[in-house]
Amino acid sequence: MVQLNRQYGRAETASETRKIRVIGVGGAGSNILDRALLDGIDHVELTAVNTDVQSLTGSVANQKIQLGRNLTRGLGSGGDPELGLAAAEESCEEIQSAVAGCDIIFVCAGLGGGTGSGAAPFIAKLAKEAGALVLVLVTMPFTFEGRRRCAQAAASLRLIRENSDAVICFENDRMAELALPRMGIHEAFAAADVTISQSIRAIANLLLQPGLIRLGFDDICSVLRDGDARALFGFGEADGENRAHDALVKSLRNPLMHRGEMLANATNVIVQIRGAANVTLGEVGIVMEELNRHVSDRTQLMMGIAIDGSLGSRLSVSIISSLGDSSERPLKTEVYPALQEPARLEPVPPQPAPEPVITLRLEDERPANGATLDPVEHLEPETRAPIATRVPIEAHAPVEARAPKKEAAKEADPGNKPAPKAAPKTIEAKQEVLQFDAVSRGRFEKSEPTIIDGQDLDVPTFLRRRVKVG
Amino acid sequence: MARDNIFVGLEIGTTKVCVVVAEARHDNTLKILGVGNAPSRGIRKGELVDFETAKRCVHDAIVDAEERSDVEISEVYLGISGGHIRSFNNRGIVLLEEGREEIDEQDLEDVRTNAREVSLPMEDCVLHTIIQHYYVDGQDGVLNPLGLFGKKLEADFHIVYGIRTRIQNAIRCVKELELETADVVINSFATAQAVLDKNYKQQGALVIDIGGGTADFVVYVEGAVKQSGVIAVGGDHITNDLSIGLKIPSARAEKLKIEEGDVTLGNAFPGETIVLRDETGFAGREIERETFNQIIHCRVREIFEIVARQVDADQNLNYLGAGVFITGGSSQLRGIEHLASEVFGLPSRTTAPLPLTGVTSAFEHPQFSTAIGLVRYAHLVHLDRPMARGILSRTMKRLSGIFRT
Repeated sequence: MVQLNRQYGRAETASETRKIRVIGVGGAGSNILDRALLDGIDHVELTAVNTDVQSLTGSVANQKIQLGRNLTRGLGSGGDPELGLAAAEESCEEIQSAVAGCDIIFVCAGLGGGTGSGAAPFIAKLAKEAGALVLVLVTMPFTFEGRRRCAQAAASLRLIRENSDAVICFENDRMAELALPRMGIHEAFAAADVTISQSIRAIANLLLQPGLIRLGFDDICSVLRDGDARALFGFGEADGENRAHDALVKSLRNPLMHRGEMLANATNVIVQIRGAANVTLGEVGIVMEELNRHVSDRTQLMMGIAIDGSLGSRLSVSIISSLGDSSERPLKTEVYPALQEPARLEPVPPQPAPEPVITLRLEDERPANGATLDPVEHLEPETRAPIATRVPIEAHAPVEARAPKKEAAKEADPGNKPAPKAAPKTIEAKQEVLQFDAVSRGRFEKSEPTIIDGQDLDVPTFLRRRVKVG
Repeated sequence: MARDNIFVGLEIGTTKVCVVVAEARHDNTLKILGVGNAPSRGIRKGELVDFETAKRCVHDAIVDAEERSDVEISEVYLGISGGHIRSFNNRGIVLLEEGREEIDEQDLEDVRTNAREVSLPMEDCVLHTIIQHYYVDGQDGVLNPLGLFGKKLEADFHIVYGIRTRIQNAIRCVKELELETADVVINSFATAQAVLDKNYKQQGALVIDIGGGTADFVVYVEGAVKQSGVIAVGGDHITNDLSIGLKIPSARAEKLKIEEGDVTLGNAFPGETIVLRDETGFAGREIERETFNQIIHCRVREIFEIVARQVDADQNLNYLGAGVFITGGSSQLRGIEHLASEVFGLPSRTTAPLPLTGVTSAFEHPQFSTAIGLVRYAHLVHLDRPMARGILSRTMKRLSGIFRT
């Protein structure tokens, strides 16, 4: 049984006060904003930032900031990152006022040009200084755009990485697979924007929407920690009887995913399943089991389930991960030892033995068994971050639970930049663990599943129908 | 010696690879010359998963068939199955141009092409376009519009499609053995040719072929194919269920299923057991018969229920005058016809291929329905279009007129 608790209700109200801002920098950035708005993105404020007034006036964002009023006089930065940076510095105050008071800031930019490459690192830095968690989504130029632009983009990416909590990098070369070669260039770019806006939406939903099993920003950070290489992102939505299977297949079909082949090399994978209250345990099981076939044994799958009535009969699956060898990058946890202190000093007491998983009722049931979580509340009374729970799917994956650390970090070290981190801690899980390996597919374990009407037919019928035998 | 009147059907099944060699006689009957058999490996749920191994099995079966029939095989009719195969019905329309009123061959071709023009996923290809009914100027029940006068020709077709690459795998397997594939036929159609005669097709019938890896079904209504489908569940699943439920090795479960398999519930005496004799490596054990039956019952019932749901979705269950025909290896489970009657609410029977002349007695067995159906299909095609062969035009669109009969 997944037990909901008082924290659940609190987190929900907390999400209303959490402010998320998406800043689109440069021409590419504002295109992404436009796309995100067209697709519908709630509870998020959009800011377009550009040197080019013409492109700025065309933007649909509700807040617009013109960079370098005196420097560029409303013209573009002409592909010069230094000019872009200088323009941003000139408008420093405006940007500061825009980022002030936000909890999470997405910075979107197309790297390679002037404004995006020059201003994005600076804006990320200002955002960071304002105390927000900063997530940067950038597109890298096509190789055919020339070596100069690629070099500018790479240099800018380095700067951004230093000034942000997580970077998701979309390579245009790879995004080109989204579009057919004969497709209009406009459509091709639009297709790329859709993917980026989908990922913004998926992450925003992940952070904002009440979840039965929530994922928090720290989970995203831990997944994107090695984001220097390539972000893996997949989003799929489906309807009908086999929607779980179809949504997963769609999400894996995303070019950033390479049909899921890429997932085999990822160490952490976030998967979020969203649907209306009619999501069944079986469907969750189907998604997770199939996904498990794409990942290696070492991979940690972090599962989130969110209930969103607006989805109707549809079910969506978002997968976020990154490729990259973690060996090269030191874990940031070492940089912020203070973050770990509170949890380490007062470890959460072990939980009563979890009940066996029987059913997952997705109605809004809220049994009053918050008692198990009370110690956490005492520990961090002001916590506003969502409770994040990892659901290890592999039996040997470590059961970890992390306390929300954002506020704690601020208290512990106000000068330090809050960077909630996946700090592997050896404390007990504070929520029950949902196990899926109970069902057996026997000799069909490795073969393509046969799923009809949402049922995995490879699992013995008598097990699925709970017919008592023997 | 590719004789014109020799037909070879090749079924690459999940349990066995079966090759049937038959000869068409002058009186338009078929005579079976020989049947080759080999247990198959490298095939799961009706599809190749290990190419080299599967190829060896096909080779063994072909050699076996050549020895038994004393015919050198050069061309086969290949049966195809797999969960990726789907179908739908569609109508094609052709308007005759001004000044021409007689429907000719080209119009029949055009109406077929018109019906096929639906957007399928990129990876799919059409396997069959089978004529159901023609309409001329809205007039119903036209059997053969060729030569009729009219302004508008319409036709309903049953279109079967599947994932191109997976179909190509099987064809390549045959090709690498230096054999030609005369035609690719989905298993359910082939099976229907073997177990249904003209009357049954006219009355309306549902054929379910439960093989090792898949259950293929086809619905005939008023002599035309109305619906078809493949469910990637078969005898292997029953074995797997038994192996999991009774905690016995797969091979043991398979043997037990063949020897004792029964879907009847409540028929066993209380406490009645099946004794598993100890063999090398296995300790002897007793299994409660009711438990054993229950596991098989659940699985078979589920297969029937899925088929029933799909058939009922198009409201075809009401048109099946001849009832349900169950065939394939798994149809030998005891009591399966009663279970089918219960689920479908229709008279049901297990059936073997209709009798042919030749060395048939050994092959009048449900296991061989598909393979024998393949040669019957080939023969029907041959009768229908004697000219089509030779040109090596194995495009199915030409051939499918036979499904009317």
